[in-house]
Amino acid sequence: MAMAANALPPLIASQLNYLLTHSPLPVKVDQIWSGCKNSFLSDRFTLLIPFCLDYIRWDVIYNAQFPLAAPDIIFSPEDENFHPLPISGEGGGEVQSPRSSLRDWNSKDPSRLMSLIHELRDVYMSYQRKRVGELDDERLKFEISTILSREGIEVGIISGADKPEEVKFAVPLLDMDLNKLVDGCPWKHQQKIYLQVVFPVSRKYSSAPCAPRVKLISSSEIKALFSTDDVRLPPWVDGMCMAEYLPTLEETLKAQVLEAVASIGIRRRFIEALVPHFGRPVEADPVFCRKATVLAASGVFTFLVHFFLSTQFPKQQPVLMLQSSQHFNSQGAPIMSPPLVDYPWSPRWEISQMAERIFDFLVEESLSFKKYCNETQL
Amino acid sequence: MDDLPLQKIAISGPTLASIIQRFSSSPGDVDGLLFGHVAHLTPSDLPDDDGPESSSIRSDSPTLVATITSYYCSGTVNSFYDSLGRIDVNALSLLLSDRGPGRSLIGWFTGRRKTPLRPSMREFSVSASLCSKTLNLSPHEDFLSSLNSPPCVFIIFSTPFSDQLVHTHEHRAFQFRRSTGVFEPKSMDVINIGPAFRGHYGTFCPSSPFPWLSCGLSDTEGKSHMNLNQMRRISKDQKTLDSCAEGFEFGRMSSLMGSEAVNYTSKLENLYEKMLAKLEELARLVEKSSDKVLEQENRNIKLRQKVAGLE
Repeated sequence: MAMAANALPPLIASQLNYLLTHSPLPVKVDQIWSGCKNSFLSDRFTLLIPFCLDYIRWDVIYNAQFPLAAPDIIFSPEDENFHPLPISGEGGGEVQSPRSSLRDWNSKDPSRLMSLIHELRDVYMSYQRKRVGELDDERLKFEISTILSREGIEVGIISGADKPEEVKFAVPLLDMDLNKLVDGCPWKHQQKIYLQVVFPVSRKYSSAPCAPRVKLISSSEIKALFSTDDVRLPPWVDGMCMAEYLPTLEETLKAQVLEAVASIGIRRRFIEALVPHFGRPVEADPVFCRKATVLAASGVFTFLVHFFLSTQFPKQQPVLMLQSSQHFNSQGAPIMSPPLVDYPWSPRWEISQMAERIFDFLVEESLSFKKYCNETQL
Repeated sequence: MDDLPLQKIAISGPTLASIIQRFSSSPGDVDGLLFGHVAHLTPSDLPDDDGPESSSIRSDSPTLVATITSYYCSGTVNSFYDSLGRIDVNALSLLLSDRGPGRSLIGWFTGRRKTPLRPSMREFSVSASLCSKTLNLSPHEDFLSSLNSPPCVFIIFSTPFSDQLVHTHEHRAFQFRRSTGVFEPKSMDVINIGPAFRGHYGTFCPSSPFPWLSCGLSDTEGKSHMNLNQMRRISKDQKTLDSCAEGFEFGRMSSLMGSEAVNYTSKLENLYEKMLAKLEELARLVEKSSDKVLEQENRNIKLRQKVAGLE
């Protein structure tokens, strides 16, 4: 088999691919390079592993010359005290918690790298918890004792060269399966909304601890359904702790998420209401109903109308874009109109009236769009 | 006495060059062992005035220096430990079995191309296990390593990520501290290189053993207090030397002096020619065997690739 230059040897490639496709965590590869003398085969890569709403960078070092040997890992410079492997001979002769994926390493089993990374990430999680627990900060000690039992919570120390130490909590919110809320959900990874709480580490002499920075963060795919930017966070009252803050937040968030799910139905009915005026859509987003494209004609001039529906529909009107099927610019691309948002609209109208009003608007707009196309083409 | 901070790590230029050569000529990553000794530094440049700084430095910190005198390179990875970084005591004792005096294990090294100069997950585990108290590697006491320091030296050899740089190799030395469980970066002195090299001659102490050929001692008074074993060894050494000398035994060297010298020059030249011919023959043999080694190595690489599904 002819190998492309800088390719990963098959055994290593299958392990990496397995990790990228099967891991419930969205692991990413940053770069792949070769450690061989002739640089022909690649055998090392940097993994970006999600942890505490951020990524940790781990260099995975394989050996193309010894593809059956287990890989080694070099952690980030700030994690120089993280030593996940047990040390033989210490601790009463008995080797504590051996890492099972590295023991009896089998290169032919493509799932090995994934289990190794998951195991090490678990150890890393407890390592960070331990570090936070050792900080001399009464408030953090209290927060940890009250909140750390919550499932899926992650905590870590953020330290930079020129800024004071901070502790970050990533608290998963809403005890429900968001993937199951949406019919025909295309999400591969489990979607979650997290509250990120960043506490400054306060030393004993500082009197009143200041409020932490709170922020909602969601996995990126969920944005098709719900935008966390639309959520107004309740204020953090002095002397509050996370256990007090979370219930109110979760309550409002839950209501908003359910509303967002319900709004899929409203958008679907809107797209269906377009049919009597424009005929069946050429293309439509069947899951979240955020996009639809219909074919329209004004005399012999035919064009496409793209509808972009926000998660705030019908409070926010759809953004329209027209695309000519007859006019092309100098690059050979069809001519598009700029986004149209300035047309008559009321969220209180009946759905059918919304579609009808847009149709009326487009009857007039098509004339100016045709003129625009003819001008742009020349 | 066993977990004191090293002031620095010293290595001779040829040893360092040889390790780098082994690493850069190997197709993949390598690891190996470092031998040498740990000794107190004797300051050779005593200052005339006892300033407050200098005296304080010397009094409260014992200046220990680890000197690397030789090494063993495995040419592979995981040569004396497993994938978890656990020491394979059998493999390690095999590697240590034929060491001579002054060659006690003081640490190990890895060579991995294009990697950060930071100890990896497994390297930490290996160093920690090597320094672990329960690992007993030196049953007999070495006269040079009377300090009984654990094999705490660790050196990473690597190459820069960018091919554009002027330098082609980089290294970083560490001492593993058993008490704290951390790697402390240490400076590495290359003996006889750099502006400070003159001092090395002042404190020179030969550490490599030199073979002692007890030949030419044909006087009877020497033989009288030798036992049979020694005599047998001497006669064996003499035989080896004689086979090289082509009948030109040592005793005749004295003829080179005085009036008879002229007659002997041509014979001596003849001897040199024969020796040169022998050397050339030896060089050819070495070349041939290197060829075979290379061939076998290539076969090994092919086999490994076959196993890895590359062919």
